[in-house]
Amino acid sequence: MSGALDPAAWLPAALALRLGSIGLALGLARRPAASRWAALGGSCLASLLTGALAWSVLATGRAVGGSLLSHTASGFVLSYSVDRLSAWFLLVLALLGIPIAMYSLGYLGHGILARRSPFVAVGFSVLMGAVEMVFAADGIVGFLFAWELMTLANAALVATEHEVGETRRAAFLYLAMSHVATGCLFAGFLILAAAAGSFSFTHVLAGAPVSGARRHAVFLLFLAGFGVKAGVIPLHVWLPEAHPAAPSSISALMSGVVIKTGIYGLFRVCAFGLGPPHPGWGVLILACGGVSAVLGVLYALMQHDLKRLLAYHSIENIGIILLGLGAGMTALSSGRAELAAVGIAASLYHVLNHAVFKGLLFLGAGGVVMATGTRHIEDMGGLAKRMPWTALFFLVGSAAISGLPLLNGFVSEWLLFQAFLFGFQRSPEALVRFLFPVAGALLALTSALAAACFVKAFGVTFLALPRGEGAAKAHESPWVMLAPQAFLAAMCVVLGLVPGFVLEELRGVAASLPGVRPAPEMVRGLFAIAPGPGRFDHLTPPLVALAVVLAAGLAGALSLRAGYRVRRAPTWGCGGELSARTEYTATAFSKPLMMIFSAIYRPTREVQTVGAAYFPREVRYRAEIEPTFERFVYGPLTRGVLAAAERMKVIQAGSLHAYLAYVIALVVSLVLLLWWRG
Amino acid sequence: MSGWTHVASSTPLSLARSFAFGLLQAAVLLAVAPLLRGVIKKMKAAFQTRQGPPLLQGYYDLAKLLRKEPVRSETASWVFVAGPRIYFATAVAATMLVPVLFAGAPLEQAGGILVLVGLLALGRFTLAIASLDTGSPFGGMGGSREMTVAALAEPALMLGLFTVALWAGSLNLGDLVRTTAQRGPSGHPSELLAAAALFIVLLAEAGRVPVDNPATHLELTMIHEAMVLEYAGPDLALVEWASALKELLFMTLLVNLFLPLGLAASAAPGAIAVSGALYAGKVFFLAVAVTLVESTNAKLRFFRVPELMALSLGLGFLALAIRFL
Repeated sequence: MSGALDPAAWLPAALALRLGSIGLALGLARRPAASRWAALGGSCLASLLTGALAWSVLATGRAVGGSLLSHTASGFVLSYSVDRLSAWFLLVLALLGIPIAMYSLGYLGHGILARRSPFVAVGFSVLMGAVEMVFAADGIVGFLFAWELMTLANAALVATEHEVGETRRAAFLYLAMSHVATGCLFAGFLILAAAAGSFSFTHVLAGAPVSGARRHAVFLLFLAGFGVKAGVIPLHVWLPEAHPAAPSSISALMSGVVIKTGIYGLFRVCAFGLGPPHPGWGVLILACGGVSAVLGVLYALMQHDLKRLLAYHSIENIGIILLGLGAGMTALSSGRAELAAVGIAASLYHVLNHAVFKGLLFLGAGGVVMATGTRHIEDMGGLAKRMPWTALFFLVGSAAISGLPLLNGFVSEWLLFQAFLFGFQRSPEALVRFLFPVAGALLALTSALAAACFVKAFGVTFLALPRGEGAAKAHESPWVMLAPQAFLAAMCVVLGLVPGFVLEELRGVAASLPGVRPAPEMVRGLFAIAPGPGRFDHLTPPLVALAVVLAAGLAGALSLRAGYRVRRAPTWGCGGELSARTEYTATAFSKPLMMIFSAIYRPTREVQTVGAAYFPREVRYRAEIEPTFERFVYGPLTRGVLAAAERMKVIQAGSLHAYLAYVIALVVSLVLLLWWRG
Repeated sequence: MSGWTHVASSTPLSLARSFAFGLLQAAVLLAVAPLLRGVIKKMKAAFQTRQGPPLLQGYYDLAKLLRKEPVRSETASWVFVAGPRIYFATAVAATMLVPVLFAGAPLEQAGGILVLVGLLALGRFTLAIASLDTGSPFGGMGGSREMTVAALAEPALMLGLFTVALWAGSLNLGDLVRTTAQRGPSGHPSELLAAAALFIVLLAEAGRVPVDNPATHLELTMIHEAMVLEYAGPDLALVEWASALKELLFMTLLVNLFLPLGLAASAAPGAIAVSGALYAGKVFFLAVAVTLVESTNAKLRFFRVPELMALSLGLGFLALAIRFL
């Protein structure tokens, strides 16, 4: 703990910097621009520090720790520790946090946000700091404190535009579900702490202080608690409400990293904190992942609000991440240390990739929404000519999230396929033999559906003629918003081309987890990776890229002769005049899939004609899909809770005497209970 | 063919040789692909007791289209221009990953089955996006249908390929073919089921009846043709050529995965001649099968296609189950 060069000093320094800049920003709140610069600039510098700390931990492999606060009288010490797993998540956070902060400098200065921007910027910085603390906490108290701070800061940010009723509802839903989740975490941690006799993670999460049915119960409590935060179906309902309601830069952070705190928790506690996982746990995680991935993308296909669509894709990608974790845990439960590493690496690689491309897409969507004044893609169109750079970056992000080669999404999905297929190859257990091919087929379906969804999202938003006035008048975003997108788009390419570099770090992370032993053959130089020893499969993306570039050169050469004398002509408008009305809509584009998967969507439609039957003046069409989970799971639940509250109103009489009596009765009964048991 | 060593031991020279070999193989397949379409057209015409277009019509069309002036929509942006080029590039790059005449693929250091499927998906993605660029309703209609069919075909394709790959113990097409060529066709029923599953996927991916009708321009039934309706001149030539190449690629994959007989193990002229003749025979056999299906079936209603894809998926699962469970 001596000298500025000691990495152990960087996290406290980052927090101090963050607090200082927050204080400065609050002091400058009357002057929004200066206040934004203070909060966001401070956040950038703090992120640089934590990023450097994470990198040094990954590079040296030595965990760094220390104490932030100690109270001698009570003996309470708030300490932190950054091991390789924490460092990986901290690095992802820093990598996304810096571009988002820069983007926010431009983004928050516009429209309705400008007046509130100091508070949004401060809220952003608080959220960043809270997430850093979640990743760095090494005790139950610090973890839960940071967890709650994160939830509250996040809820406040979601409610930024609180004049809109929907936004308030989204923020409330988020708070309510988060608190149920935190309740689960409290219960789980208290059971563990009581059994281990300590609040420190080193004791609580070292192996299993509880066993048998209790261990399963604790696992389920944590799965529910962290699952809500990650947006795992069926615990996802808050996510598609809250993510679109927040300002876009906040949505980018929420989708990119904040939901990953749930994944971090699942890794830290469920997978590696409760002793060797039971085979059923891996299967349960796999099932959650498969359901979230497929249903997430299916619901995304039906969304025509750009930000809601992206929010549902976050659910899909959380599903993909869980598929990797599930594969790893299944391998771990049968003691296959090398196979487990493939699933774990795929999962963690996708954590990074999803942060990069989803951050990019939300930032692009923010620019589009700002320029057009709408979130509805049916009112967009023609933006590729008006916002060429945003279009290019959004296209890169779209291809990356669809898992297409030459970009980062492909590499992590490739690894995940390897986890399933290589796992299948090497494990004779019937369970694996049955589950892994099914999971592989689901993954293939998911990525193909994601591609279909992004053809729609990109094509309808950016191409052809503008469908609304806002889109026709749109202008390109300022450079301060474009530069972060350019950086993230470049990251999509780089992370896709040097998988060996990334996997080398991930091998270190996986090796630090109990029971996992990654094979050295996974990394074959900077550019090539493989699932393990032998010739099962390997991937060298630069060679693929080179082949495509060469072939594109051939295509260019073949069409060169006529390339320079192109004739421009209007598109044939089917006999009428071509206008935005004749374009294919997003609704029409996804209609076939709605019909095919109608068993899941259960669509209802309504056609209304205005005017005479044979010569209608107007036809109105409305199609809706059934919000299955909201209606059949959460509907009865909410009604039940409300009914119970109604009954319990009796004891909430509003009389102070009665409340004091309750307290006394409780204390007496607790004392009696202790006396009786002790 | 010492170029087929692992990338860790590859030198710039061997890489350059792999790429030269890859480009040569792609060029050969590009040269043959229009002929395959001509053969199928001729055989279909014979079934309908018509004379049909000349066998070489595909080449005439391509030559003409490449010389023509490209006409592009005023509405379209750079995405429209990039679409056919990337589509063509991915199809050509994909051929370099597939063993054709030799017991190995030119660019097998780059990756295996997953890269191949990924590259084709990338080409489809860009072309479908480009189809939305002109503002014509046909483009969007075609793009939507193409992506829908592809989404349903993808799991079936993967599962069929996985069955073969897992049996051979490698997802790398070069390794896979060498293993099966050495072992010879096992005649295991699982192989027949997987082949049937992949044949259905071939019909879908190549846009053949009963999934799509390559000979129609009726808007109610078009899939692929609707997607590329707005292209003209060299742009259209690239799309057509790449589609023909993709079809040949799928057929090559099918015949070499399930009947890897006579693949040349060296660059000796004799071995290549034998391998070439066998390859031509096998692909012709498959072309006859495609023609038979096209001539004896009606195009399915679009919303019946999922059933066909589910059948393919089911066959894939069954193939996997009877081999490994």
